[in-house]
Amino acid sequence: MLDIRNLERRWLKYKIKSYAPHIAFASVGAVLLIALPYIWMDSDKPKSPLKTDRFFSTVSKKAPEIKPIVEESPTVLEPSMDFVQTFQTSVLETKRPLSSTIQTTKPIQQEVPIPKVLNLPDTSSLKTPLKSPPIVSIPPSDKSPSLNRNESKLDIESVERRFKDSSNPSLGLFIARYHYDHGNYSEAYNFALKINSINNKIDESWIIFSKSLVKLGNVEQAKKTLRFYISESNSESARSLLDSIERGTFK
Amino acid sequence: MECSLFSKPRDLFLDVVNPRDYVQIDSVSHMYQSLKNSVQKPLKMILLFGRPGTGKSMLLHKLHHDLSKHQKVLMFDIPIVDEDDFLRVLAQRIFGHSPREVMTLTRFLEIAEAVAYADVPIVLLDEAQLYSGSLMEKIRLISDARAIKFVITLHKTDKEDIIAKEHFQTRIWESIELQNATAEELKVYIQKKLLKANCFDVANMFNDKNMKLITALTKGNYRETNKLLFSLFSLYYWYEENNPTLIKYNALKLKWIEMAAIHTGLIRA
Repeated sequence: MLDIRNLERRWLKYKIKSYAPHIAFASVGAVLLIALPYIWMDSDKPKSPLKTDRFFSTVSKKAPEIKPIVEESPTVLEPSMDFVQTFQTSVLETKRPLSSTIQTTKPIQQEVPIPKVLNLPDTSSLKTPLKSPPIVSIPPSDKSPSLNRNESKLDIESVERRFKDSSNPSLGLFIARYHYDHGNYSEAYNFALKINSINNKIDESWIIFSKSLVKLGNVEQAKKTLRFYISESNSESARSLLDSIERGTFK
Repeated sequence: MECSLFSKPRDLFLDVVNPRDYVQIDSVSHMYQSLKNSVQKPLKMILLFGRPGTGKSMLLHKLHHDLSKHQKVLMFDIPIVDEDDFLRVLAQRIFGHSPREVMTLTRFLEIAEAVAYADVPIVLLDEAQLYSGSLMEKIRLISDARAIKFVITLHKTDKEDIIAKEHFQTRIWESIELQNATAEELKVYIQKKLLKANCFDVANMFNDKNMKLITALTKGNYRETNKLLFSLFSLYYWYEENNPTLIKYNALKLKWIEMAAIHTGLIRA
């Protein structure tokens, strides 16, 4: 006796099995047929322009994905002595806002949302080294730059070298003050003398010169120098120093 | 009495070798005629060989059926493998002699010489590949003595080709090879068989597409075709009784042919 239901089931299984390779072959063929024109078109086009186009298109489409690059920038902008020195060379550079500096140096970041750059935690660390060294103020008439005072020998040598090259009285004044503060009175005397020869109208230079003379034991020479300068400039600070030397209160 | 359209065709394709069911197909008919002619010649041995299901047994039965009316013909459709039994049966049924002593080849040849028919008796051996080599050697000696004319059938395989070479190559005077049927031959075979039994409606259901599938499934093997059609008409019989609306009488359903093939083991599913 035939089991028709079972036979029909087996037949269905057999048909599926027999058609499976054909279906697979047909679907692969269909996929190839669809993909072939695209592959053909791709092969016809020159490859290098296509790559650049793709690159730019992906960049423009995926602008937010540049964020990681922006986040990496603080590590580049971490403070270093070289970075401080570039600020010291130019007054304008130090006075420029930080955000504008970053934007000019990295124009590509202008496409990126600015808050990302401004909210960086490292910007505070950038400001810290700028504020930390005491800034010596120079009379505005001289248009002298405000210099960061650095305690290291390497830095003072660097400033001396720059003074030698530029003969900037502001730099010389910084060096003279540095040496006087460190007890190198002869060095302070020499640099103050050099500044006076470049510009003889700087109060502090004459005062350091006179104070160095006192410290070196030439009190009379110091008094004589101060009197001469007071007669020429009528400087109040010079007069005050002369009074303290004469009264013996100067230390 | 069954009134189903498909019960009679189903029974027609029962795998039974009956010379009355022999169907005249051009190629087979030609083979049969040449076989008949060869038998009339003074040949020692005739070999009929071919792949299983090519109609060797049917041809042998048909020959036996036709020749037995005119001369002494003995048919061994089931091989007798024991040599003594084989010779004893031959002596008894051909020469009417049943000796009580052990039947040796010499004794058998003595009996054959003593009887001496005008027409050499014919012995038809089906499935000769089942006989042992020593018995085949005795068969050869008997045919050499012209005591009996043998017509033997062999399956065509490598092994049986060796047997044919070793025992019969130099002695066989005629060899006939039967081939598997083509789609057209198979269609003629099926339709003739159905028409012979007055199953005209069912015979008209077989179209070329059906026959192509049937031939592909059976590889032109008559025995397999019979088995397939028996299953197919059994299916039709079932649907006729349970779901007659599914039957289309202008052609056979390919699905049902395949289902019948699954049932008979021609398709592994």
